Amino acid sequence: MKTIPPPCPEPEVGPKYWRSLEQLADTPEFHQWVEREFPSGASEFTDPVSRRNFVKVMSASFLLAGLGATGCRRPTEKIYPFAKMPLNYTYGVPQYFATAMPSRRGATPLIVKSSEGRPIKIEGNPDFPDGNGGTDHITQASVLSLYDPDRAMRVRRNGSGDSRAAILDFLQSLGKSAGDGTGLAFLLEQSSSPSRDRLQQALTEKFPKAQWCLYEPVDLDAGRQAASLAYGSSVEPSYKLDQAQVIVSVDCDFIGSEQDAHGHIQRFTDGRTLNGKDDPMNRLYTVESLFTLTGLNSDHRLRVPPSMIVAVLARLALNVLKSSDIDQKLRELAAPAESHDAWIVPCAKDLVANAGKSLVLAGYRLPLAAHLLVTAMNDSLGAVNQTVEFHEAPKATGTTFPDLAAALNAGHVQTLIILGGNPAYNAPVDLNWPQAQAKAKTVVRLGYYEDETSWNAASHVDTQWDLPMAHYLESWGDVRTADGTVAPIQPLIDPLFGGITELEVLAAFGAMTPASPYEIVRETFRTLGGKSDDDWGKFLHDGFLAGSAAAKAASPQHNPAELASAINGLKASPAPTKDSLDVVFYRDAKMDDGRNNNNGWLQELPDPITKLTWDNAILLSPVTAQALGVFTNRNVQNQKFFNYRVELTVNGRTITGPIWVQPGLADNTVGLALGYGREKTGRVGTGTGFNAYKLRTTDTLYFASGATVKDLHDNSYELATTQSHWSMEGRPVVREANLAQYRKNPAFAKSMRPEMPPLNLPLYPNPLDTTKKNGLHQWGMSIDLNRCVGCSACMIACQSENNVPIVGKEMVGKSREMHWIRIDRYYSTPLGTSDEKEKGMEEPQAVVQPMLCQHCEAAPCENVCPVNATSHDDEGLNVMTYNRCVGTRYCSNNCPYKVRRFNFFDYNRRPLNHLYKSPLVTVTDGEWELLRWLKNPDKGNLPEDEWQLSRLVKNPDVTVRMRGVMEKCSLCLQRIEQAKIAAKVKARDSGDIRLSEAKGTVPKTACQQACPAGAIVFGDISDPKSTVTKLKAQERTYQVLDFLLTKPRTTYLARVRNPNQDMPDYKELPMPYTTKEYDSAKSGSLEEETSGKGEE
Amino acid sequence: MLEVDQIKVQAAPAELERIPLVGNQRGPGWLSDRIASVIEGETPGWWKICFAISLTMMTVCFGMILYLMSTGVGVWGVTHPVMWGWAIVNFVWWIGIGHAGTLISAILFLLRQRWRTSINRAAEAMTIFAVMCAGIFPLIHIGRIWYGWWLFPIPNSNSIWPQFRSPLMWDVFAVSTYFTVSVLFWYMGLIPDLAVMRDRAKTKIRKIGYGLFALGWRGSNRHWSNYEKAYLILAGLSTPLVLSVHSIVSLDFSVSQLPGWHTTIFPPYFVAGAVYSGFGMVLTLLIPLRRMLHLEEIITVRHVELMCKVTLATGSIVGYAYLMEFFIAWYSGNPYERFMFFHNRAADPFIVAPLLHIRPAPYWWAFWIMWSCNVMVPQFFWFKKVRTSMLAVFVLSILVNVGMWFERFVIVVLSLQREFIPSNWGYYAPSPVDVLQYLGTFGLFFTFFLLFIRYIPLVAIAEVKGVTPQADAHHPLGGAKIGDKH
Repeated sequence: MKTIPPPCPEPEVGPKYWRSLEQLADTPEFHQWVEREFPSGASEFTDPVSRRNFVKVMSASFLLAGLGATGCRRPTEKIYPFAKMPLNYTYGVPQYFATAMPSRRGATPLIVKSSEGRPIKIEGNPDFPDGNGGTDHITQASVLSLYDPDRAMRVRRNGSGDSRAAILDFLQSLGKSAGDGTGLAFLLEQSSSPSRDRLQQALTEKFPKAQWCLYEPVDLDAGRQAASLAYGSSVEPSYKLDQAQVIVSVDCDFIGSEQDAHGHIQRFTDGRTLNGKDDPMNRLYTVESLFTLTGLNSDHRLRVPPSMIVAVLARLALNVLKSSDIDQKLRELAAPAESHDAWIVPCAKDLVANAGKSLVLAGYRLPLAAHLLVTAMNDSLGAVNQTVEFHEAPKATGTTFPDLAAALNAGHVQTLIILGGNPAYNAPVDLNWPQAQAKAKTVVRLGYYEDETSWNAASHVDTQWDLPMAHYLESWGDVRTADGTVAPIQPLIDPLFGGITELEVLAAFGAMTPASPYEIVRETFRTLGGKSDDDWGKFLHDGFLAGSAAAKAASPQHNPAELASAINGLKASPAPTKDSLDVVFYRDAKMDDGRNNNNGWLQELPDPITKLTWDNAILLSPVTAQALGVFTNRNVQNQKFFNYRVELTVNGRTITGPIWVQPGLADNTVGLALGYGREKTGRVGTGTGFNAYKLRTTDTLYFASGATVKDLHDNSYELATTQSHWSMEGRPVVREANLAQYRKNPAFAKSMRPEMPPLNLPLYPNPLDTTKKNGLHQWGMSIDLNRCVGCSACMIACQSENNVPIVGKEMVGKSREMHWIRIDRYYSTPLGTSDEKEKGMEEPQAVVQPMLCQHCEAAPCENVCPVNATSHDDEGLNVMTYNRCVGTRYCSNNCPYKVRRFNFFDYNRRPLNHLYKSPLVTVTDGEWELLRWLKNPDKGNLPEDEWQLSRLVKNPDVTVRMRGVMEKCSLCLQRIEQAKIAAKVKARDSGDIRLSEAKGTVPKTACQQACPAGAIVFGDISDPKSTVTKLKAQERTYQVLDFLLTKPRTTYLARVRNPNQDMPDYKELPMPYTTKEYDSAKSGSLEEETSGKGEE
Repeated sequence: MLEVDQIKVQAAPAELERIPLVGNQRGPGWLSDRIASVIEGETPGWWKICFAISLTMMTVCFGMILYLMSTGVGVWGVTHPVMWGWAIVNFVWWIGIGHAGTLISAILFLLRQRWRTSINRAAEAMTIFAVMCAGIFPLIHIGRIWYGWWLFPIPNSNSIWPQFRSPLMWDVFAVSTYFTVSVLFWYMGLIPDLAVMRDRAKTKIRKIGYGLFALGWRGSNRHWSNYEKAYLILAGLSTPLVLSVHSIVSLDFSVSQLPGWHTTIFPPYFVAGAVYSGFGMVLTLLIPLRRMLHLEEIITVRHVELMCKVTLATGSIVGYAYLMEFFIAWYSGNPYERFMFFHNRAADPFIVAPLLHIRPAPYWWAFWIMWSCNVMVPQFFWFKKVRTSMLAVFVLSILVNVGMWFERFVIVVLSLQREFIPSNWGYYAPSPVDVLQYLGTFGLFFTFFLLFIRYIPLVAIAEVKGVTPQADAHHPLGGAKIGDKH
């Protein structure tokens, strides 16, 4: 799209002022004088033609100087901005485009904010029928990867640069000489793209003998496979968690690591909404080996080692299935779990009692038989079409990955085309993929990074072409979301480094026309029914094709035969001991399978449970760690974690890594996160963690047993965590109750606070109380702890919106991370004897709490700032003036919530490994930094490529803070101001400039928008009809540290658990007892409202 | 009639022997010679060595400041949540040390404590240099040092005006006023002595140098009368400042709302602590000096003893304040206060923590160093034997300063480490830059102090003469003698 120039200036009317008679006369002398007075180049601004040239040249060099790239241009094809935005581009006004981020088997429909042609912020598409605008942290962070200075930037042939045209020609010639496809193999990642399907079909017709292999190191497809087997046709289950009253999750972290977790979170929390004491609430049971977010949010949790999970599942099935469905094999399988009957039997009873409203889920790590068992249970519980629906899904076909490796090793594959993925890093280690890959004569590899799979001199491959892959924000494409709805992928920017898409490679190989990805997608869209240009326009504009969701399987018939045969294949594995540990390989919450390894935002995002950053660790339960002599919880030096490093051996393969003691983990079980320890990655990912793939074989993709640990007696390795203290120390920070207590005393949260200080009559009225009356709005926030699951999408959304820098592992180790919003995680153990406490360490409950600036009405930070850098505005925001801040840091000391973050170094302008080096003695790009600074103080001290790219992702509406400045949550002040300006522009003479939720003009904060659970609600508390006002009126509302009378504008809705009385771990009170709760528990009443003295 | 032999002539009771303030009945001439000889004599070898070391350390001080300014506050150990670390500890510590000088010269002057004359000059110099060292820290500890001037109410086009509700603002005024008045007071007292040095000077440079600063002092009656009045006025002005400056420094903490900081007892407690540490530092400096410069007859054992007594008194006030903090923490029933004092300070792993069934505090040893140095150490001064043993007093005076440094460390760092919300809890460890910066200020301090003893009379010559018996016309030794008669 060509830039439409800003509207012509209005014809000059009214009086004209001139600064001298010469100017009025417009004499040549005057022009000369202007040129002389101002620095060279200034006069060019008076000449429209050369000014345009100047801006053109400058913007190109600003954006991509030194990168040898083509420049930052808008794509040449027409794409449509989102409806709210003006059709004409206005400089400085951001545009919003609908697109979608592809994931393994689905996609997330998005609205992406673009500022001056740079995509800078990703938001969920709120119009998408199956979503609420919430996304996950990985989607939020994907925009940073677009500007990654380490991404693949050039076409390479055997390691040396080549041209884009050469590779496209080469692909065509390769396709021409491929014959019927013998000796040709494609290795692809999972994708839901209809266009790719279409191209693949076309190529299969052309090369019938070609092999097609889909490989995902972490395959989330098991649920579909099981459902397809059980129902005899290819169907995909979709879980209606909002309809379920009782949910049993068997090793299924549907809140964290399963496909489309944000969708699950949305539906799950819908089932936990409490607007009044009589509202129903779902109940979640979890059986798991690791401690996951799902376990954290469950009402009952059973921790068992992975080898026991199938047994527990079988035992549950015995109690749920009709006796006719049960055969002897199931009984055998279930036998080892008999000891857990106290837990399983009442759980199964609850499921059966709620038949039709109950649901069982199995996780991706479980074998197919387990999924079949779960499918059978759901069928038996009448869940079909109630809490689980099946819709048609394309069948997955092709060569399996081990078969492809075997074919390569046997020399059957001459040409290997790898599109995406990184098999050399993440293939099962027994396949020895790097060697297998080198057996092919010609390898064409499309990858986002120059990584392990890229050409490598040692591999002796004849010819390997490496192609830079385009980011999805640079590509044309299409995807199907989890429910099968087709969504477009639109480029918001031309490929920064000439990236190529999968579709382009396939089309070039098949010498197809049209060959441009745009045309390919357009063509596919025609086959999907979008005939006219208007349909296409609407498709791009909306970001999805309404009504294209896959057809629902009406009344699927369950076929128990598959189950019986699958179960017969299962073997019971022996229970682990400390000398023969079970190992769980899990998809990392941030790195996924390693694809996000070079993304700084994700590396620095604390893991939702361990709160570790920049590393993975060998997770062990406290008891196991103690038994192995590597218990390191108390080996804390300077609040840093120097944990033991151990050698972990599984089946003769060994890795070394640091120990992390994780309460709540199953005993004798090791948790290993995948995705770290990359050998060839970018500046960010290098040196993070260890590579757990080195232990993973084809047979032990997710579980292995018989692992041993050898202590290396080395605890010099530091782990950086953002939260080192586990306990709430009996303080009423997070307040929670069980559903029964909540129904008895809905205002239980308020009775948990310590005694409030008596309200003294003030000597003089608080000036803020009078400004409050002047403010047009009064902003406030309510966070529902019953909805928040701790997924951390808000943290990245905030980081992206507010230009929050990353600080690196060393700084996180010193607690200097910059996140404006953090998720606090507390473990809780029962009070009582030390034995009970010790036991509690094993089976803790945990809670999470988002913590951000509370915008106190009586803010302690404000009165201690000597330079007025933090002050209150009349709309109730505690605002921070960065320009005024001199950095005394007193505000942070006096903030009881400790939500202010300080720029100890120039994180935005200096390389993170040089922070401690004085610029007086450092050299960047061969130039002394002091000299660089003197020449141009606005230039960063980063290498040029990093500096230019790091600037592109910044939100221009938010100041980039320098060192020595305090910063904190502003409740997205820039969004509020933009909304206010828009309201003013619209109001004209009517004077109706007030934002209102009813009119939809109140903006959402970045964290609120990203939150799939809808836990964070921001709004105008002076508007009685606003959601936030209604939420704050709920009886569960409380303020953190209310007794300090800081009067925070951010309030929390207390958490409610819904335990089952018949369960063995049932407790009348939830575990994180506060002192107050404990006292009340002793005196036997939590019902009395003891406040009254204090001010409310 | 009364017989002569009946009249009992009762001798007047023997006067309690006053230990003279100047030993060996030294006369005015000797005093002038002795004190001036420190300056006029040859530069001693130890002075040269000490000066070289101090100068090096001062270079380190400025080197560290350059590094800090060019790189960022992150080079220090301060972190989240402990945003103030050694810089503020050192600031309060040096300011505290700066208390003794003005207290000695102003308050003791008003209270007519004549013994102050031998030590007041050196103590005042110490005050000024200590306040200079102190003043460095609040300036360099801020994030953007180059904007430090925004703390001063200077009208400017940025409309940046200080926020007068902030205790840091009060600090700016309190410290700068204190420094200005202390310098004035010190210089005022110096004028007669500078004139002495001018009159004794043998070289042209000295004559001009001392002459310039002696402001034409001739020792006339009118000069003396004006001088005395001015001195009294300045003493009167300085007295409240002694109390105010540290009270206001203490408000930096008590105005906040952190448990461990938010304490109304702080102002008197800080002042007592400051006097305590100030006297400790005076002792540390003067005990070796009197020996090296042969001033034992001017700065006598009695002087040292008297200072020990002040130290004992103020140390006991500090101890009382410590106990009171614990009592109030317990008595208030506020769990956060209790946690701060019992769990986070006193809980050592040997006695307190096992007794209370709690985990040991991360910096329990800092608390107990503070407690032993500030509460137990001064108790030795009850014993005359200790008070009169110069070695013992010297060692104990150093411990006093160690204790007072740890007091500030405990208050600043321990309170911040673990306060309201447990997820915020953190730990503070100083970086090497912190340590070098602190040592560097010693370099600054001693460089100035060594220059002071070498070029400025370190005992107030005129004032010391005033307290000798010879200055008293009614004393057997005093007055102008005409023949045999008084």
